[in-house]
Amino acid sequence: MVDVTETLDVKGEVCPYPDVKSKRKVKKMNSGEILKIIVDYPLSAERIPETMKKLGHEVLSYEKTGDSEWEIIIKIK
Amino acid sequence: MQIDIINALIPGLIVGILFGLALQRGRFCMYSAFRDPLMLKEYKLLWAVFLAILIEMVGFAIMHYFGIIALNPKPLVWGAQILGGFIFGIGMGFAGGCASGTTYRVGEGMMGSLVALIGLTIGAYLAKFGVLAAWVAQLQTDTRINFPDDTALTLGGEYNWMLMLGIGVIGLVLMFWKFVLPAMKTETISIGEIFKKGWPWWMTGIVIGFIGMIAFVSSAAAGRNYPLGITAGWLGILNFFVTGGTTTIGWLSWMVIGIVIGAFIFSFYAGEWKIRIPKDPKKIVLQFIGGLMMGTGAVMAMGCNIGNILSGWPQLSVGSIVTGVFIILGAWVITYILFMRDE
Repeated sequence: MVDVTETLDVKGEVCPYPDVKSKRKVKKMNSGEILKIIVDYPLSAERIPETMKKLGHEVLSYEKTGDSEWEIIIKIK
Repeated sequence: MQIDIINALIPGLIVGILFGLALQRGRFCMYSAFRDPLMLKEYKLLWAVFLAILIEMVGFAIMHYFGIIALNPKPLVWGAQILGGFIFGIGMGFAGGCASGTTYRVGEGMMGSLVALIGLTIGAYLAKFGVLAAWVAQLQTDTRINFPDDTALTLGGEYNWMLMLGIGVIGLVLMFWKFVLPAMKTETISIGEIFKKGWPWWMTGIVIGFIGMIAFVSSAAAGRNYPLGITAGWLGILNFFVTGGTTTIGWLSWMVIGIVIGAFIFSFYAGEWKIRIPKDPKKIVLQFIGGLMMGTGAVMAMGCNIGNILSGWPQLSVGSIVTGVFIILGAWVITYILFMRDE
């Protein structure tokens, strides 16, 4: 298990808030740090990993943790 | 109280459940479709919207030629459509979704979207029957431009179905060649995954295009000669209760109820159903205000994103094209203000 530097919980939010908040969050973080995103909105759960890859970050894991709930772990580039 | 079970209730619910399936599995939200190219450089949902519109364009033209349907484009009421479209577009940003996106998310258990939907219904009521009704009707009358023979203004006039067929076929060929065929190779889905995973955009576009055609036939049989819509469906339900049951609940109202049922069934089956409440109370208020704006804007513009863009653009209605352009402009302005200014 990796050491998570920060956790971003965007449950209950509809598009585009989860996407935008994740993008803003990774911008503030430093290289090598690990961000865990908890999201319960399907479209964003599919989109966030794609957006993160486009931004050059590494998606370490992507896991469906329950009914409409996902955990995405990102390593900042 | 009279409800047409055979022509309105059953077919309306069936079309709605199918539409709910496609909206939910395809995550088909037009606010996302118009916003993502600007914000995330992401075009998939936008291509899905265009694909559905082009398929409908060809389908409606052929069905019109064979007398299965009679085209019924919305008129141009430019003042009300520019203002209403823009208000609707801004409202989508606050509400976190368009009229169809908000409706299917209610079925997924998103309480913020339920609040937005209540706002939309009330906003539509105020503009149609309430305090704003006289002013909205006057603006529509004052800025209406028809053809000299008093038919609705379309790009093709009396040759409209031929123009639809031409644009539709050329558009589909280009679209398949440039985007759909390449995407079919990289973005695939197996039969077993259809009810479990999000659909690739091309599948969503094709399915929604065909649902639009089925909807036109089914709705016309119930006496409402138009394809899909959303806002007037919710408005009809509220009006039924306000008038104490003296009005009817028509095809479109059953269809929107069907969307919620369909989105519920299929999100539940895929493990994507859950009651979700925005943590920030401010957001609930914003979603309500956004809904009010969408409802009011949709009545002014004679239709929401579904009535005007998904159903109106294929019929080449000038009024629907004007409305659609201003819905997109409104969506871009609010996206810039809410999400992009400080980046």
